[in-house]
Amino acid sequence: MDKPIPLKIYEIVGSEFCVAADDGQKVYDQIVLALKRDLQVQLSFLNVKRLTSAFLNVAIGQLYGEFPEGLLSSHLSVADMEADDRELLKRVIETAKAYFKDPARFNRVRNRVLGEKEDAGE
Amino acid sequence: MPNSISLPVRPIYSNLAGYSQIGELATRLDHYEFSSISLDMRQMGWCDGNMCAPLGAVLYRAGRDLNDIDLRDIPSSVENLLRKNGFLTNYGRVYLEDTFSSTIQYQRFEPQDDRIFSYYLDEQLRNKAIPEMSTGLHKRFIEGLMEIFSNAVLHSETKMGIFVCGQYFHQQHRLDFTIADLGIGIRQNLLDKIGLKLPADQAIDWAVEGSNTTKRGPIPGGLGLKLLREFIRLNHGRLQIISDTGYWEQFPDGRKEMTLLSNRFPGTVVNIEINTADQNSYQLSSEQEVDIPF
Repeated sequence: MDKPIPLKIYEIVGSEFCVAADDGQKVYDQIVLALKRDLQVQLSFLNVKRLTSAFLNVAIGQLYGEFPEGLLSSHLSVADMEADDRELLKRVIETAKAYFKDPARFNRVRNRVLGEKEDAGE
Repeated sequence: MPNSISLPVRPIYSNLAGYSQIGELATRLDHYEFSSISLDMRQMGWCDGNMCAPLGAVLYRAGRDLNDIDLRDIPSSVENLLRKNGFLTNYGRVYLEDTFSSTIQYQRFEPQDDRIFSYYLDEQLRNKAIPEMSTGLHKRFIEGLMEIFSNAVLHSETKMGIFVCGQYFHQQHRLDFTIADLGIGIRQNLLDKIGLKLPADQAIDWAVEGSNTTKRGPIPGGLGLKLLREFIRLNHGRLQIISDTGYWEQFPDGRKEMTLLSNRFPGTVVNIEINTADQNSYQLSSEQEVDIPF
C-alpha cells in the first residue's frame, strides 16, 4: 500500500487553535482533494492545542455525507493526537454516522453536493 | 425630540431574579432611541461579575439605537468590581487593577473571533489565581466555553457580537463564566430551521437533550451542548440558559428546572458555573488508546 499523504492540520489552519468552522472547511477541502485521487491520508494533529466539535464536524464529520464509510475507513488515519482529543474525534465521527444514517438526509446532501458540482461545470 | 429618563437597577445575581431584571431592562429600553438614559444604581448592592455579559449586551443594543447610556450613583464596592473587570471602561470610568485576581474581563467579540476568544481564555485563565483547578478540569472548562461560543456563532445569527464575562468566587470554590449573544434565540431558531414550534423554555430543553440538532445540511451537529452537559454534571457545576422568554437550569445535583420569564432576553445567555475544587481527573492517559472509528 502507498505511504499516506500527511495532512498537517496546524499548517492548514495556521494556528494551534483549531476551533472555527471556517478553518474546519479548509481541512475538509484538502481531505476531499486527496480522497478524489484515491490517496491514503494521514491527518497529523502535531502542535494542535485546542479542538472543538464545531471544527471537527466540518473538517471530518462532513465527509460522511459525501463518502461511504468503507472508503473513509480504508483511506483515513490519524497521528500525533492526544487521548482526550481522540475521544472527541471519536464522538464526532459517531455523531456524523448517526446523522447521515437517515437515507433521506444522506441522499439530500449527496444530491445537493453533486448538483452544486454540476452547476459549477464539474 | 430626545427623551431623558432614569431607570433603577437592583442587585444582580446569576439567578432567575437577576436574569428577569435584565430582561425587564431590555424590554424597557426597547421603547427608546436618541435618548439620554440614566441607570440609577444606588440600590445595586451587588452584581455578580459574570452578569456583566447579558447586562452589557442589553446596554450595547440600546446604544445601537443611539441612546446615550449613563450609569449613575454606583455603590463603591460594585463600582470597583465593574472597573476591575473592564465593564465600566465602556461607560466613562477608568480601569482598576484587580489585585485579587477574581475577575475575568468583560469583552465583546465578533462572531468570526473564535481564535481571538481562544487566546482571551488562555490569557484570562492563566493569569488568574486558580491554583486548585486541575489541568484536566482547566482544559475541559475551556473546551466547554469554546463549544458555547461556537454554538452562538453557528445558531444565533447575531449581528451585534458575543458578550462574555466571568467571576471567580474564591471562598465558594466556584467560577462563573457567561456568554451572551443578541441573536434570534433558540425558540425562533427551532421554528425557522425545522418548523418546530415550542414555548421558549421547552425549546431550550429540546436543544440540550440527546443529539437533537437543527442542522439539516451537509454538516452534522448536536454534540456541543451534550458534551457540555456531561462535563457540568460530572463536575457538579451549574448550567443556566436563558433565551427569549425561556429560563432553563441544571443544578449541581443534576436536577433541572425550566420556566418562562415575563420579559424576553433579546438573544441567548449561557452561564457555566464550575466547582473549581473538583478533583476528578478529566484527562485520559496519553497511553490510553482510543480507537478512531473511521
